[in-house]
Amino acid sequence: MTGPLLNIQNYRLDIGTFDGPVHVLKDINLTVNRGDTLGIVGESGSGKTVLVRSVLGIGPKASKVVQGSIAFDGQDITALSEKDWTKIRGIRISMIFQDPMTYLNPLFTIGQQISDVITAHEKAAGKGVSSKAARRARTEDLLDQVGLPNPAMLFDQYPHQLSGGMRQRVLIAMALSGKPDLLIADEPTTALDVTVQAQVLDLINSLVEKLNLTVIMISHDIGAIATIAKRCAVMYKGEIVEQGLTADILSAPKHEYTKRLLAAVPDIDTAAAKVVAEPAIGTPVKPGVLLEAIDLKKVYRSQSGTEVTAVDGINLSVATGEIFGVVGESGSGKSTLARMLLRLIEPTSGDIIFDGRNISGLTGEPMRLMRRHMQFVFQNPHSALNGRHTIGDAIGEPLRIQTSMGRRDIEARVEALLDIVQLPKMFKYRYPHELSGGQKQRICIARAIALNPRLLILDEPTSALDISVQAQVLDFLQELRAELDLTYVFISHNLAVIRQICDRTIVMKRGVIVEQGETERLFLSPQHEYTRALIESGRKTSRAANLSAPAGSR
Amino acid sequence: MLTFAFRKVLTLVGTMIGIAALTFVITNVAPGDPARLVAGPNATEDMVATIRTEYGLDKSLPEQFVVYMGDLVTGDLGQSIVTTRPVLEEVLRYAPATLELVFVAMTLGIVVGVPLGMLSAVYKDGPIDHATRIFSISGVALPAFWFGIILQLTFAVDLGWLPVSGRLPLVTRPPQTITGLLLVDSLFAGRLDTFWISLRHIILPAIVLSFPCLASILRVNRAEMIEVLQSDYIVAARAHGIASFRIVAIYALKNALLPTLAMIGLRFGWMLGSTVLVETVFDWPGIGLYAVSSALSSDFKPVIGVTLVIGFFFIVANTLVDLAYAWIDPRLRSA
Repeated sequence: MTGPLLNIQNYRLDIGTFDGPVHVLKDINLTVNRGDTLGIVGESGSGKTVLVRSVLGIGPKASKVVQGSIAFDGQDITALSEKDWTKIRGIRISMIFQDPMTYLNPLFTIGQQISDVITAHEKAAGKGVSSKAARRARTEDLLDQVGLPNPAMLFDQYPHQLSGGMRQRVLIAMALSGKPDLLIADEPTTALDVTVQAQVLDLINSLVEKLNLTVIMISHDIGAIATIAKRCAVMYKGEIVEQGLTADILSAPKHEYTKRLLAAVPDIDTAAAKVVAEPAIGTPVKPGVLLEAIDLKKVYRSQSGTEVTAVDGINLSVATGEIFGVVGESGSGKSTLARMLLRLIEPTSGDIIFDGRNISGLTGEPMRLMRRHMQFVFQNPHSALNGRHTIGDAIGEPLRIQTSMGRRDIEARVEALLDIVQLPKMFKYRYPHELSGGQKQRICIARAIALNPRLLILDEPTSALDISVQAQVLDFLQELRAELDLTYVFISHNLAVIRQICDRTIVMKRGVIVEQGETERLFLSPQHEYTRALIESGRKTSRAANLSAPAGSR
Repeated sequence: MLTFAFRKVLTLVGTMIGIAALTFVITNVAPGDPARLVAGPNATEDMVATIRTEYGLDKSLPEQFVVYMGDLVTGDLGQSIVTTRPVLEEVLRYAPATLELVFVAMTLGIVVGVPLGMLSAVYKDGPIDHATRIFSISGVALPAFWFGIILQLTFAVDLGWLPVSGRLPLVTRPPQTITGLLLVDSLFAGRLDTFWISLRHIILPAIVLSFPCLASILRVNRAEMIEVLQSDYIVAARAHGIASFRIVAIYALKNALLPTLAMIGLRFGWMLGSTVLVETVFDWPGIGLYAVSSALSSDFKPVIGVTLVIGFFFIVANTLVDLAYAWIDPRLRSA
C-alpha cells in the first residue's frame, strides 16, 4: 500500500452552540504515513482533541463538517455510517486517553472490559466469537505485553484497585487489542506522576518499535511529544500553525506562538534566573521563622479499621519571606500536609506554630481570626470558584467574612485587588465561565491576598494551566511576593517549576520527608535515591523539550 | 462483603429499636387519656381506673417503656379492642395482601420506569423524551384517590374489563395459604383460574399505587443515564468499538442504576404508606385498610402495630438496597 495512512485535507469543523456556530477547526491539512509518529501540540481549547476524535468518529454531537475530508487508508471517513465505523473503531484506529482514572468503567473488572472489546472486534469481523477461555488468554497476553505484572490476577480486579500508571497500561492494552494500524494517544501522560510518565512514554516507544505502530500523540507537554514523535504539528486556535520534523521545530521555531510556547517551558537543568532578587527594602532585619510544623502526623482510618498514614511525623520550618517548595508524587501526602498547615484538616498529632503561636489546639473565634493571616490557593481554578457568584463576590467574600468593611469599601478593595493581579476592574461583574484558566487562577490569588495575609499556601497552582499561562502565573507570583512581602509554601509535582522559584525544598514520599535543603543543592547533588529518580524522570521530557537551549546551560 | 452485610444487619436492628421507641413516645405525647378512650364515653371513674391498671397505664413512663419493649421483643403487640384478638395475629393476616400489592406495583414501576428512563436519555429532547416528561409529571401530580376512582369508572364500570374492587370475589375459594400472596399461592396450588382472577383484581390498584413511583424512577434514571452517557469511560467504550446497544444497556445502565436503586428504596416505604389511600378506594383487605378502620374506632394498638410493621418492611427494603449497592459497585465492598 502506497498512499498515506491518514490524509486530512482542508478540514473545517463547526460546533453548534447556543450562540451560533463556533469554528473549532480551520483548514486542517495533515498527512500521516505508515510508521510515522506524529505529535500534535497545542494549549487547551486549540482543537487538538476535537481533531483526533473526528478521526475516530466520536467528535462532539453538535459538530458539523463544513468542508474537507479525512481519508483513512484511502477511504473517506467523514460520512461513515455507525455500522461501517464498527469495522474501524478500536480495530484499525484505536485510542488511548488522558485520564486513566475516568476512562475505565468503575463497575466492571479489567478482564471483562478488555474481553468485551475483543468480542466486539470479533463480531465486527464477522468470524464468530471465540471461547471465553480464549478471550481470557488473549486478554492476559495483552496485559503482559504492556508490562503489567500478574495478568491472571489483574483480570478479576476492578479499576479502583489499580494505580494511575497501571490503569493507563490497561487502557493501552485495550487499545492494542484490535492490532490497530493507527494509534491515537490523547495526552496519555498528563494525568500521571513524573516517574510514571517516563515509564508510559517508554512503553509507547517500545510498542511503536515492536508492533510497527503508526502513532498520533497529542499533548500540551512539548517534552512528552519530543520523546515520542519524529514529526510534529503545532495547533493554535483551531489551526495548524506549523508542522515539520520535531527536532527542527524545537531548534528553530518559526511561528510566533511556537516560540512563545517553547520559551515558556521551564528547564529542569537550568538554575533559576530569580526574576526578583530579594527586595532590598524588604525585611532582612527579621529573618525569623513564620511557620513551623513539629512532628505532624495524619492517620486516616477506614470504616473497616485499616489505618493509612498519609503524613508521618513531618518537621519543617518556613522562614519569613521565603518560597518553600514541597515536591512529591500523588499519594506522597503533600496536599494533606498543606491542608494541615492551615488546619483545614485536623492533624492526628503534632504541633503547628504560626508566628510564634501554637495554632494546633486553637478553636472557634481565635482560630477564625487567625485564618486571615494564612490563605490557600487551590490546584484547579476551574472548580475553586463558585460558578454562580460574580468575580466581585468571590474576591469580596473574605472581606465580608473577616472584616466589618462597608459595601463601598469592599467594592473599592476588590477593584484594587483586581489591579494587583493585573486584570481590568470591570472583571468584577463577570462570571467565572467567562474567564480563561490563567485569569481564574489570578482571581483565586486575588481572593487569597484580599486580607493581606502573611502566608500563602499554593497547592499545585499551575498544574491545571497551559504551559504558556503557567509561566505567566509563576512570574506574577514572584512579583507579588516581593510587592506584598509574602511567604509561600509552594506545592508541586513539577520539578522544573520548583527549581525555578523555590528557595528551599522538601521532597516527600509516602508521608515522610526523604530529603530537604536549598533547592539548588537538591538539584545539583541529590542525596536520596528517590530525589534522583524524580529528577531523572523529569529530565527526560524536559531535556527533549529544551533542545533549543544553549548547550552550556547543562 | 460479608462484614459489610453484617454491619448493615446490625444497623437494621438499631433502627428498628429507634422506631419502636419513637412510636412509644408519640403515643404518649398525643393528647387524651388512653384509658378513658378505651373505656368509652359512658364509663365511670372506677371503670377507667380498672382499665388503667389492666393496661399498665398507672406505671411511670420508663416502666411502661420497659414493658412495651419487652412485649415487642416477644412479639406481643397488644390486643385490638374491637376484635379482642392479638394485634400481631391480625397484622400478619392483613400484611400479605398489602405486600402483594406493593410488590406488583413496584415491579411495574421498575419494569416500565427504568427502560423508559433509558430511552428518554438516549433520545434526549426527542419525541419520546417529551412524551415521558408529560407522563411522569402527571404521575407525580395526580392524587391517588382521584386517579383510582377514574380508573374504576373507566375500566370497571364503563368498559367492564376488570373488577371494581376487592382481592378475590366471595364465591372464589382462596388457595391454601403458603405465602399469603394470592398470585404465588394459586400458582403453588396449580390453580391457574384463581391466579387469573386475582391478577385481574390487582391490576388497577397496582397501577394507581405504582404511577407516582414509576414517574420518579423514570426521571431519576433518565437524569443519571444522561450524566453517565457523557462520561469518559463511555467515550472510551465507543472508541474501542463496543456496540452502541451494549454501551447503553450494560455499561451505562449499571452505573446509572445506583441512584435509581436509592429512589426505589425510598419509594418502597412511601408505597407502604400510600396503600392506606389505595386500599380504601379499592377496598383491598390489607394493613392500610385495617389501620384506617382501627383508627376510626379509636383502637390504637393496631395502629401502632401497623406503624411498626410498615417501618420494619421499609428498613428491610432499604437494607436490601444497600446490599444491592455493594453488589453492583465493587468500590463499596471494601469500605
